[in-house]
Amino acid sequence: MRPSLRKVALALVSLAALVSVGAVPQLLARKKVAAGDPVANEHKRAVQALNRLTFGPRPGDVQQVMAMGVDRWIDLQLHPERIPDSEVESRLAAFRTLHMSSKEIAEDFPDNQMVKQVMDGKRPMPSDPAKRAVYQVQIARLQEKQEEKQEKKQRKNEDAKAEAGTMVASPASDSAKTAEELAAAAAASADAACNAPTNLADTNSNSMGASSMLASNSDAIANPGVPHVSPILRDMGTPTNETATAPEMKPSATDDARRREDRLYADLKIQSLLDLPPDQRYKKVLAMSADEQVAFADSLRGHGKAQDFLAGMAPKQKETLLAMNNPQGLVADELVQAKLLRAIYSDRQLEEVMTDFWFNHFNIFSGKGPERLFLTNYEQEVIRSHALGKFEDLLVATAKSPAMLFYLDNWLSVGPDSMRALGIPAHPARNGPRRFPTNPNAKRKANNGLNENYGRELLELHTLSVNGGYSQRDVTEVAKVFTGWTIDKPNDGGGFKYDPRMHEPGPKFVLGHRIKPKGDGEDEGRELLHMLATSPQTAHFISLKLAERFVSDDPPPALVDRMTKTFEKKKGDIREVLSTLFHSPEFWANTTYRAKVKTPLEFVASAVRATGADVDDAMPLVRQIANMGMPLYAAQPPTGYSMKAETWVSSSALLTRMNFALGFTAGKIRGVKVDTPQLAGAAPAPSDALLTLSTLEAKLLADDVSKQTHDSIAAQIESSTKPARPPDASIIAGLLLGSPEFQRR
Amino acid sequence: MITRRIFLRNSALAVVGTAAVPSFLTRAAFGAVDAGTRNKRLVVIFQRGAADGLNIVVPHAEPQYYAMRPSINIPRNAVLDLDGRFGLHPALSAFQPLWQQGHLAIVHAAGSPDTTRSHFDAQDFMESGTPGVKATDDGWLNRTLRNLPLTPQNSPFRAIALGPSLPRILSGAEPAVAMNNINDFSVGGKNPKPSPAALAFEAMYDHSSDSVLHGTGVETFDAVKMLKAANPAKYTPNPGAIYPKGRFGDGLRQLAQLIKANLGVQVAFADIGGWDNHVNEGAVEGQLANVLTDFSQSLAAFWTDLGDLGEDTVVVTMSEFGRTARENGNRGTDHGHANVMFVLGGPVQGGRVYGRWPGLDQSQLYEGRDLALTTDFRQVIGEAVARHMGNKNLAAVFPGFDNQPAKFLRFLG
Repeated sequence: MRPSLRKVALALVSLAALVSVGAVPQLLARKKVAAGDPVANEHKRAVQALNRLTFGPRPGDVQQVMAMGVDRWIDLQLHPERIPDSEVESRLAAFRTLHMSSKEIAEDFPDNQMVKQVMDGKRPMPSDPAKRAVYQVQIARLQEKQEEKQEKKQRKNEDAKAEAGTMVASPASDSAKTAEELAAAAAASADAACNAPTNLADTNSNSMGASSMLASNSDAIANPGVPHVSPILRDMGTPTNETATAPEMKPSATDDARRREDRLYADLKIQSLLDLPPDQRYKKVLAMSADEQVAFADSLRGHGKAQDFLAGMAPKQKETLLAMNNPQGLVADELVQAKLLRAIYSDRQLEEVMTDFWFNHFNIFSGKGPERLFLTNYEQEVIRSHALGKFEDLLVATAKSPAMLFYLDNWLSVGPDSMRALGIPAHPARNGPRRFPTNPNAKRKANNGLNENYGRELLELHTLSVNGGYSQRDVTEVAKVFTGWTIDKPNDGGGFKYDPRMHEPGPKFVLGHRIKPKGDGEDEGRELLHMLATSPQTAHFISLKLAERFVSDDPPPALVDRMTKTFEKKKGDIREVLSTLFHSPEFWANTTYRAKVKTPLEFVASAVRATGADVDDAMPLVRQIANMGMPLYAAQPPTGYSMKAETWVSSSALLTRMNFALGFTAGKIRGVKVDTPQLAGAAPAPSDALLTLSTLEAKLLADDVSKQTHDSIAAQIESSTKPARPPDASIIAGLLLGSPEFQRR
Repeated sequence: MITRRIFLRNSALAVVGTAAVPSFLTRAAFGAVDAGTRNKRLVVIFQRGAADGLNIVVPHAEPQYYAMRPSINIPRNAVLDLDGRFGLHPALSAFQPLWQQGHLAIVHAAGSPDTTRSHFDAQDFMESGTPGVKATDDGWLNRTLRNLPLTPQNSPFRAIALGPSLPRILSGAEPAVAMNNINDFSVGGKNPKPSPAALAFEAMYDHSSDSVLHGTGVETFDAVKMLKAANPAKYTPNPGAIYPKGRFGDGLRQLAQLIKANLGVQVAFADIGGWDNHVNEGAVEGQLANVLTDFSQSLAAFWTDLGDLGEDTVVVTMSEFGRTARENGNRGTDHGHANVMFVLGGPVQGGRVYGRWPGLDQSQLYEGRDLALTTDFRQVIGEAVARHMGNKNLAAVFPGFDNQPAKFLRFLG
């Protein structure tokens, strides 16, 4: 894609520039001599394999892979089912939502719509005291919000009335129309509120992570919760005279005083409960009245008290108390934490790398509508379980997943000539066949037409690629094929449903291929997916993307061609395609070694792995990844995140990485314990800082440290203003993790 | 592509050395030079996700518009009328005073002539400035800098993107800085004196043979030093400038700080997402309205905040393509073709809708479904680059496009 000749020329210019200022570029010189040659020895082969098939080597990994034999180890990674994975399983045991269905998640961790249904008596209040506590707090908060809204509206109306009195009235017909239209618009926007993120720009920066009440104080300040209102006021159901008549927006002094008093009371209560054993503490909360629970939840949030209060409780107890404040945030938090913990601790590393790869390929944005209900299952059942299987199975699984059907809007797509669009009743009268008069107004009704969002991305991003030779007409035809593939009640966490009444009748023509109408129409989609999964364009596109992930940003075309052949010959067997890749000379070429710049996820996970750190709470790390520009599950466009260097190398990103490296090794990132002295070897004397440096170079970077980096750190050690106290092991480790070398894999 | 920056930077930095603070930094810090304030500036805003131009600047005199959008149209009596033909979406009320004062111009039916309806490709083309040509490896905003006179400071802030990564539009040979947050833009704390760790990092990246990381590293440390010296924290927003909360408003607020701190900003870039409304786009209120409120209030606050500095500033907005003229089956719109662009600035002859309006009759629509394109976005940008920034070499900024000054819309007079 990019002119490589030019790149080489420029590299040479830069090389000359560097030489002229006296810095001999060691790495570059080595690469130049050895370009195209295979990596020199078994040690380097092991490092290369670990850099590419895992989220980075841990202490001792290189030796282990060498002992097993690099090829045997790769073969084992290609068969994750043969690798026991108990450590990560025990670390994930606390996250119950990982094993819950979308429906259970929807019920146990309700969104506003679900809460409203219980509030309005359309669903029963759960009898289980833990679930009930979650609902009670949500209902109280929702009521409060509604009251506020009502009040605002009332005030606005009064203002408007006052204003109208002084204005000349507009023509009656005109204003009537406006009112009607405004009402329609309001209804539409109410729909929108539950179907789409309210503020996409914001969701991107803090959609995950800042949600749980375990968030640090600064998060709490950034996301102030609902205003604290006395439970007594809440009880009364209507605003007090004081607030209803007070014309100004500011809370009065008595309000403030009462709030302080309430908070103080709740704080005291938490304090007194803290002295009890965890189990009793939990039971006391469940036994509280609804009002007390609300005050308790308010008081716990954003005070850093949550962690103390939850200490020692069983996972389910912790989850319940966290969910009282933010049920949906809890689900999202467990999902992101699990992703990072798996990247760090799973022994099935290639499976995790591929899960990350495929999730990104079939990207879903967690901020859209009820996606949080679907994502846990999507990642486990759709992505991970097919990560090394057949591409067609994976493609079909994504196409049928409620996560994808919702994200790319296919669930709403209706054939323009379908029974539903034509208004033909679902259950015709029994008296024999007869023609139904078509309803002339039905077509004009909204939500009765094609939506081509999925059709386009299926061709462009999932299969053929943008150069795959399709036209706008093909996109529209694909959209027709998939009409009827919908979701059974998305907001309740429902699953795939085929609705023949939404399906566009008649034959469809995609890329010159005629898809015959058959049965009730559902199989047309299967036929098309098969056609796309077995297309040579798809084979090439998937091979290219895999090579970009595992080899380099500009992988050699000859390699991609060989992978494409394997893809076609082995009917889209991903394991076989990867095997071709891992056994290619291009993969083992010296030019490939450390050629990829790490993404933020790869950088953070590899830093934790390299140091052998112990992660107790992954949320702070998750937030760091978001700060580096890669909030997990929150890539909004269907393209997902880039895997290329140019995206991840910027001033802002580098500074964030350097600061993370220093903070991380200094133990300043909450929830993670790094034992750098232990890593650096048995407590060397301060004067041995240079020895510490070389130990850490070997452990953190397998000795792939340039002379420039080594000299820069050594110079810093030597020029330390207090010779008696040169930089300690944690600073040296931080400098190494922030070095140019550690940014690559 | 990032590699090419380094030979430029190297020449400067090899002399300066690593720890010494170049004299321009101290000059800037003490405000000895006021040249920065006389800089011409071009700010580019990208609306990522394909904004719906027809509901943003509404052709309310077209019966076809109302016929094609039965549930998501903006009623005539709700639009903020501009000239009897077009009107602003009511959520753009913050733009109204700018229009009335003549600082805001509109170009309708503009965009990229490439026919792709892929977000990714279309954004790529509008950032590379070469629609249809994928091999272009730098962005037009970077190329814009190439033939410009240096600011006296030769500032690392000549080109800045607000956000965690450097966008395609700014990649290329000229140094450019991506900044997510002014307050975090340092290593190992905000002390005026660099920490030992910061010095070690700087030496590492300065001397690194890793071409990609070296170039960015050098620019980064330059920028960190200059920022510390200039201390933009003291430039708080003008009292009248009220930025909405959120990423876009935060970005523009910080950009205004950098400009006011006299850091030599010549080109800047920010983006805002949330426009891809295939479902429930909304009309007077709703999803599009929410994004438009954020968009217009942020830009209006930025304009107010700049004060006199707005005289030397031109802001241009763009989006990869428009959306279907008809609403789709889900009260939304699908990917379309031509769109609307806003141009805001001191030298702008505002209060006018520029460009030829192609009409919305079936025969006038592009491929029978989208607003047709009558103004190439490179014509709009070209005018700003040549007439405002003073870079007359448009063939280098937009290779392969015949940018004739005679064809400029003359929104710059």
